[in-house]
Amino acid sequence: MKHIYKISALLFLCLTVTQLTWAQTQPTIKSRLSGRILDAANKQPLPGAVIRIKGVTNGVSTDNEGKFTLVTGQALPYTIVVSYTGYLTQEVVATGSPIDVLLKENISQLNDVVITGYSTQERKYIAGSITSVSGDVIKDQPAAGFNQLLQGKATGVQVLTNSGVPGGGITFRVRGNNSINASVDPLYIVDGVFLSNNDPVTSFGNQSGSNPIADLNVNDIESIQVLKDANATAIYGSLGANGVIIVTTKRGKRNTKGKINFNTYQGWSSAIKKFEVTDGPQTALLANEAKINTAAENNTAPTGLIADPASQPTYDRTDDLFKVARSQSYDLSTQGGTENSDYYVALGYLNQESIIKPSNYKRYTGRLNYDNNITSKLKVGTSINISRSDRNLSGSDNNPQGVINSALFVRSYLPVYNADGTYARYGSFDNHLALINNLDNTSIGWRTIGNLFGEYSFTPNLKLRSSWSIDGETENYNSYANTLISAGIATNGSATSSITQNYVYTNEQVLTYIKSFGRDNRHNINALIGNTLNTVTNNSTGSSGTGFATNSLTSVSSAATRSGTSTQQTSKLVSFFGKASYAYDDKYIIDGSIRADASSKFGKNKQWGYFPSGGIAWRAGQEDFIKKLNFFDELKFRGSIGLSGNQNGIGSYAALGLWSSGANYLENAGTAPSQLANPDLTWETTRQIDIGTEFTILKRRLTINFDYYNKYTYDLLLNVPVPYRSGFASYLQNYGAVRNKGFEAAIHSLNINTTSFKWTTDFNISFNTNKIEKLASDIAQGASGRNISLLRQGYPVNSFWLYKQLSVDPQTGNAIYDDVNKDGKITSADRQIVGNALPKFTGGFTNNLNYKNFDLNFFFYFQQGNKIMNMNDFFMIHGGTQANIGFVPRQLDRWTTPGQVTDIPRMTTYSGNPDQNGGSANNYGGNVASLSSRYLQDGSFIRLKTLTFGYTLPSALTKSIDVSRARIYLQATNLLTFTHYDGLDPEVSSQSANQNTAGYDWATVPQPRTIQVGVNVTL
Amino acid sequence: MKKIYLYSLLLIILSASVSCKKYLDEKPNNAIATEDAIVDAGTARAAIIGAYDRIQSYYAANYPTLGTITADNVIFNGTLSEYLQLDQDAIPTDNVITVATYQGIYRAINSANSVIAYVPAVNDPLLTSAEKTKILGEAYFIRALSYFDLARGWGGVQLQLKPTTDLNGLKGIKRSTLDQTYDQVLADLTQAEQLLPEDATTRNRAQKSTARALRARLHLYRKQWADAEAYATQVIANTKYALVKPYKSFFASPFLTTESVFELTFSANDKNGYWSSWYPSSSGGSFTLKPSDGIVAKLNNPLIGGSRNALIAGTSPSVYGVLYNTVATSTDPSYVIRIAELYLIRAEARAQQGKLTGANSAASDLNIIRDRAGLAPTTATTQADLLQAIEDENSVEFAFEAHRWFDLVRTGRAGVVLGITNPNRYLFPIPLSDIQSDPDVTQNPGY
Repeated sequence: MKHIYKISALLFLCLTVTQLTWAQTQPTIKSRLSGRILDAANKQPLPGAVIRIKGVTNGVSTDNEGKFTLVTGQALPYTIVVSYTGYLTQEVVATGSPIDVLLKENISQLNDVVITGYSTQERKYIAGSITSVSGDVIKDQPAAGFNQLLQGKATGVQVLTNSGVPGGGITFRVRGNNSINASVDPLYIVDGVFLSNNDPVTSFGNQSGSNPIADLNVNDIESIQVLKDANATAIYGSLGANGVIIVTTKRGKRNTKGKINFNTYQGWSSAIKKFEVTDGPQTALLANEAKINTAAENNTAPTGLIADPASQPTYDRTDDLFKVARSQSYDLSTQGGTENSDYYVALGYLNQESIIKPSNYKRYTGRLNYDNNITSKLKVGTSINISRSDRNLSGSDNNPQGVINSALFVRSYLPVYNADGTYARYGSFDNHLALINNLDNTSIGWRTIGNLFGEYSFTPNLKLRSSWSIDGETENYNSYANTLISAGIATNGSATSSITQNYVYTNEQVLTYIKSFGRDNRHNINALIGNTLNTVTNNSTGSSGTGFATNSLTSVSSAATRSGTSTQQTSKLVSFFGKASYAYDDKYIIDGSIRADASSKFGKNKQWGYFPSGGIAWRAGQEDFIKKLNFFDELKFRGSIGLSGNQNGIGSYAALGLWSSGANYLENAGTAPSQLANPDLTWETTRQIDIGTEFTILKRRLTINFDYYNKYTYDLLLNVPVPYRSGFASYLQNYGAVRNKGFEAAIHSLNINTTSFKWTTDFNISFNTNKIEKLASDIAQGASGRNISLLRQGYPVNSFWLYKQLSVDPQTGNAIYDDVNKDGKITSADRQIVGNALPKFTGGFTNNLNYKNFDLNFFFYFQQGNKIMNMNDFFMIHGGTQANIGFVPRQLDRWTTPGQVTDIPRMTTYSGNPDQNGGSANNYGGNVASLSSRYLQDGSFIRLKTLTFGYTLPSALTKSIDVSRARIYLQATNLLTFTHYDGLDPEVSSQSANQNTAGYDWATVPQPRTIQVGVNVTL
Repeated sequence: MKKIYLYSLLLIILSASVSCKKYLDEKPNNAIATEDAIVDAGTARAAIIGAYDRIQSYYAANYPTLGTITADNVIFNGTLSEYLQLDQDAIPTDNVITVATYQGIYRAINSANSVIAYVPAVNDPLLTSAEKTKILGEAYFIRALSYFDLARGWGGVQLQLKPTTDLNGLKGIKRSTLDQTYDQVLADLTQAEQLLPEDATTRNRAQKSTARALRARLHLYRKQWADAEAYATQVIANTKYALVKPYKSFFASPFLTTESVFELTFSANDKNGYWSSWYPSSSGGSFTLKPSDGIVAKLNNPLIGGSRNALIAGTSPSVYGVLYNTVATSTDPSYVIRIAELYLIRAEARAQQGKLTGANSAASDLNIIRDRAGLAPTTATTQADLLQAIEDENSVEFAFEAHRWFDLVRTGRAGVVLGITNPNRYLFPIPLSDIQSDPDVTQNPGY
């Protein structure tokens, strides 16, 4: 591998060196043009606007007063092109110096420059489906990851925060779940660096997963592009099928005076709703009732009854869990540039506590972005992000010794402490206070996202860029279970220490050719070819020890017994790609791309995959007959088709026939068959068609985007279940297909735009339907072996597979289930799909109002049609079958008297005749074993996600203290939620470490409500 | 000029693609290719160790759980539905424990099949023919034990006798009858007995006596009383084995007492955390499996339990089982065959043959076990009473080992004792995913 890197490095170096010497000849100065660039509306100077002579790639930018000087070998007059982010690019013929240029604000986004795969293009020329989100939209929110903040901000993107744990995992899908066993996460690219989206925090089960993207400071982000359709993503070939998120961080501008930004906020978070359980007397009553009912059915006398249930005490455990959590953020950055170079340097600190003790999250970030134009032809630059994330973790969901379980599930009449003052424990559960006071699980993550590039312009049209990137992620995890918590009691203390390293190395070369020619430059060509080499390595080394002399010794090295593990994986990808787009007369655009990828993961026979795409766009608004209508300011139609691939999420050695080691016995090393060979294993392919239109009407006041797409993913990388008698459970092969199709709409409206009052509204909505079109056989999983989530041909992924409770018989109090096969019995065959965790649609509604120095923003997020499996109800409406678990108040609705109509059946643990429909065995146990639709609930909600009120101090005031801008604001997050869901919070997905088991609420930290105050200052 | 650069770029691409093949060749460092799995002395030894590891995996927790919670000595006390399903004998086809056990057993079989198929061809001077024979004998034994454990849980199963290298080789193998499966066990045990060595100390790898002991059990299950008696006698006669006194000393570290005919050893580097299922959270366990009130009463009764009350600890309502008790180290072995079982096998075989009392009778064997527990000799004299006494003794002697359920099923007494009215429930279901993925399999009736 190394010598390929070496060869390409050497070649690039010798190319640039020869070019350097060749480029040293300075042209003679023929003219000196100076001037100012101003906002057309308010005549304010625009610092950092870029001025270049038409046909020349490099230019100068304006200083803080909007002034520039252009020195050139060309004689006046010539045409200059002036561009500035957020403004319409303007061409001006300069005849003499000085010159003032007025730029108009770009209200529609059509002329924005969009960063696409390996190139940038004006939005009007784009044939693909790309959503752009400005960094400003998501800054200053009390959340660590930018991806989490895209919720409701971009069409075609479904985002859900899995729990309220700060820095915790999120679910992020671009246009639905494409895959079953391979990854469904998009590719994240930050300043050209391909990010690893491996969650390094794996030590604590499903729920405490982290968001690996949270290592990036949101305030460093300039813009985000979401590449959705095949035309946009095919250039990323095998990495692009799940969509591509391109993040560009802030950079300085040349010839601008340095400015300093300081942002801070202080936040207070609390629970919107807290866990509720039955009190002591109620719990005792219900427990006794189950025993009495069961004994009556068994014709025996009840035993083990709690004497005098009404006088049982109540110990409130759940209230101990919650606290008001603080969050703080400080950001300091400076940016600017000299004649040849520019810089952006930033430092950040974020500290967020969880509203459920004892988790918290701290992040330190540092960034340096620097570019230097060494000569007029050669530019080198770097973007480096270094961050450290500290997490205090605690286990949840199916871990009975997790904090929430230990408080929620234990029966409320049982004392928290033993008579001797020690922590009391019951059944499987630990003591919640022991955990809160003693849990010691820390994870320290270091992340380096760095990129170094050189860009050489052979001619103004032809440019070669070579870039070297690394995404290095190191996670150091340490835990110590002392003798005061259940996990450490037996072993006299138990410690774990591990280091996980995920590295992604990428090298790429891209040769770009951009040219306009013909009469009036009617022909525009934008073409590129390139290659990338990509290596991904995952290493982890862990050690553990048990038996400690005292609780103050917590390191593995202090343990009496120690053991260690290590794993190592490497995979590689070689790619070649090309892309060309041609625009005629600013009206007709056609483009195409192709990428060839070879992956080390795949079988010898089928390593290569080819991913072509093509798109066309028609800017009908430029046609005279549309112009004559006098209705459309802009009107564009576009369509695209193409293929992209997926290889993420499968093991590095998935195609090989293997015997694994570690099958040891009697201290001898053993091996055993672990994987069947599949030399034909190859790419999972997504074919996507996208049709869209964008138009602007009412004097550019209203911009509307529509997209329809249809994605068909075939040759799924599927773990096909094989007969167990083979000695294997599954065989990874290319089998199966999934379809996602949907419709997206985005509306941007400038409602009012006067000098003192501006009001904009953004609305977006995305519909997606998912369907498994081909599958070898049903695959059931989820909820710790209860197999509640089912994959079945003809149904969407994330379907819930349960017994459907029709009613509770008012005469007997027993549950009656839907007997699907009508055989008069309730058996496994009567389980059916009764709902789905995928929303039918999601969207956002944002309003920004500015009146003089005041600004007001409110943002609603909504999703509709998804179901949530309430596992807390599943466990705590158990009818007596769980001897050590208490009840939630809904259990009090159980049937007690003939004629009573309710959906909660009679309490019993009777187990006779489990096949009988309407028999009491199936109320909570029996064949149904509580896998009943009565715990499945509607998870739709609409939520006032953020409400912000800000005030910018008058510039007269701030100028006097040398501050150019100062704003203070008050913000509320999750202030209002409208939902029918009974649990703590509808925004939840606690089993989502597996993409196929979404939609569970299981002892989860709920989303908090946060109030924050903040300050933004610019010097 | 421009052309030169284009050519250089092409050259990069060209040189890259030439070395692509090598560049893309990635191999793991913790696994070996299937074709290199058994090729010399080292890999042959590793393969048989791997086969032991596989039976260790399904015996560590799953198999003892299947043999206990399903019957009357152990009840569900945790949170996980799969245990509740077993406790209520309402076992769905996707029950996690039956599925994992079924799958785990076939994994052991595939390992044993690989050894049986490939070790004979290994030509390595470091692998003596004596060692080769021993490895093969062990593989036959492991396969026999595996099929026996399948047969008594699921009935006649599909007989895989060759290693799986690709899926095509699986086609067309239907379920055999229970007799055919037991015949296969017998054939493998016969081979194993012939090939295996015998020494005076080994208890955690298969030996001639281990094969004979399993064979005694097989004959008992097949109601071949004379053979059961004969093979049990062969093992009992081996001076390597003797009942230990007191009862509790066989489950105390460092284990491998003379009581043990075959146990699977665990160690600090190869842990067995099964104790955690039995111990309450105040001792660091999850307390999923709890001794029933019935067995607690029996064990505490000096006339029934005797010194076997050492199997439980704690006070009501938190009485817990301590057969698996290495809470600090997690090194409890899996008790597969104890010499006590051979006495009870022989007692039952003799009772069935009418050898009821006196010397070398059912009663004399039963009394050996009772005596060790500190109990008076049995008062039973009739065949029916003796069989009942042996059943009761088995239940207490092996309270938390994989016996009670299988004994009640094999004697047809599960209905009466456990109240299971539907005899289809005597067999575990074939896993749902096999029913869906395997055209050659049929489900057990009633599922």
